[in-house]
Amino acid sequence: MQNPYIPYPVVVDKIITEVDTKDIKTFRFKFVNPEDEAKYAYIPGQFGELSIYGKGESPIGIASSPTQKGYVEFTVQKAGVVTQALHEMEEGTLMGLRGPLGNSWPLEFLEGKNIVIVGGGFAFTTLRSLINYMIFGDNRKRFGNITVIYGARNPGLLLYKDELIEWQKRSDLNINVTVDKGDATWTGREGFVPAVCKDVAPSKENAVAVICGPPVMIRFTLPVFFDLGFSKENIITSLEMRMKCGIGKCGRCNVGSKYVCKDGPVFSLAELDKLTPEY
Amino acid sequence: MEKRLIKKDALAGIAKKMAEEFLVWAPIKKEDNVLFEPLQKDGEPFFAYLNSKNAPKNVFFPHTEALMKFTRTEKGMVFSSDENKADSSVLFGVRPCDAHSFALLDKLFDQEKYQDAYYITKRQNTTVISIACVKPPYASCFCTSVDGAPVASEGADILLTDIGSDYLVELVTPKGEKLAKYFGDAKADAAADTKKNEIAAKAIEAIKSKIPAHEVKPILDKNFDNPFWNTIHGKCLACGTCTYMCPTCHCFDISDEVKGGDGVRIRSWDSCMFPMFTKETSGHNPRVSQKERWRQRTMHKFKYYVDNFNAIACVGCGRCVMSCPVNIDIRKVVEDISKL
Repeated sequence: MQNPYIPYPVVVDKIITEVDTKDIKTFRFKFVNPEDEAKYAYIPGQFGELSIYGKGESPIGIASSPTQKGYVEFTVQKAGVVTQALHEMEEGTLMGLRGPLGNSWPLEFLEGKNIVIVGGGFAFTTLRSLINYMIFGDNRKRFGNITVIYGARNPGLLLYKDELIEWQKRSDLNINVTVDKGDATWTGREGFVPAVCKDVAPSKENAVAVICGPPVMIRFTLPVFFDLGFSKENIITSLEMRMKCGIGKCGRCNVGSKYVCKDGPVFSLAELDKLTPEY
Repeated sequence: MEKRLIKKDALAGIAKKMAEEFLVWAPIKKEDNVLFEPLQKDGEPFFAYLNSKNAPKNVFFPHTEALMKFTRTEKGMVFSSDENKADSSVLFGVRPCDAHSFALLDKLFDQEKYQDAYYITKRQNTTVISIACVKPPYASCFCTSVDGAPVASEGADILLTDIGSDYLVELVTPKGEKLAKYFGDAKADAAADTKKNEIAAKAIEAIKSKIPAHEVKPILDKNFDNPFWNTIHGKCLACGTCTYMCPTCHCFDISDEVKGGDGVRIRSWDSCMFPMFTKETSGHNPRVSQKERWRQRTMHKFKYYVDNFNAIACVGCGRCVMSCPVNIDIRKVVEDISKL
């Protein structure tokens, strides 16, 4: 019997400070035992428990794509005890990683469809995983048009800045990056994510929208997609709740009968409609 | 199924004999309470009890248990040992309601995906011996409303039933049969069976407290937003006693403790009654008041567990009813829901 509470030993291989405020960093982990990497086979949309012995654990979405071999990445905002300890770590430090946990973005359902990715602020991490998965090599052929709408409060708060530039160079991706308010050097789009969605107006034909962001963004973005004719089955999102075990036992992350850790975190709006509105 | 008869006064002797070989959890009288505790060499089990003050779930799911240990190195704290272990043991003399709770907890901790190693190891290494309730111990007992019975073996490996001069010993599972040698050679005859069935039927009749536990499921399905939920929690102190006393409540916290260079990751009982239970780092709390927490507790037992495992997460022991300091009665809550 595999003990699901014991983390895999990992080493902090690389730390990338993502934002000007320095409170969001991407941590790249390598497995101490190379054979653990295969055991940690994951799908975009899943999460892991970052385990710092002596501090505790924190459930964080996986930001890398399974097509990126040799490591796994998490983009983490400094917020509580565990994430603060993580932010103080140096490259080379040993810690633990549990998972992969939860369901995932529904790749089979997405295949052959036009994909609209909408992300706001710091909630872009597992969407980045999905984008990198879909555009990797031959994977790209399995999906139709890919439209990305990604916004942050200001240019300094955009994640994965180098990747955004690379993505914009590709002809098989429609990338729309926006900021609420630009600065002196910003030449891109200004405006809130819902407004940009309205402006880009992706077609509902054979399309699925995958939306992740702060509650206020979600609240104003959903009506835009309803107006565009997207059905609730074709709008997918990911939930967050306080978690401990990550495997549906400790009893705190349920929304109705479903555990966000085990049955989620990914749900379609149609599925969420069937659950109690307690999240 | 193998059945034996033993003399009624033989029980304590059998428990002590087993304690020479295994860890035996037995009912022990402590001041005014009876609790399941390891039977010590000079200890005396107390079988003339109604039910134990606390649910015996702590045998499989301790109030606090070490999950793993870790130690400091130059490169950070690293894992040092998995603390999952359990000695061969016997849980001697639990009531059928509490044995039923083990069968319910198995559904959660022993799922196909994500098996809870700590619970399962203890469960596998422990033989459960139940003593049937010939008479209901308390007026608040309502096991018959939640798929239980005063004379029932679900969740137990051996069932003992007082049939007058003797105990009828039923070795229900292969694990129970392995302890056959402790119960003598007197095979039970058909008359003993008949007697037991009569007693079981009478015991069921003697349970007078009844709740519409099954009937409320379709009502709960539709009434998440009913104003009724404003009416339960007013006097609740959020003390969590109901969840700590409950044989089926299983919510837990995981936390780390460090002393010097070494540390331990522990899990301990938590409670959906506590405000911090669902409070997120951002400050957001999906269950913002005691109203939502009471709704969660009720829904979890009578709807969510039914949705997920096709079983009600309540065994009708009545501990929450007897222990609540402000007399909130789950039986009345369920009764009121049935009238919505």
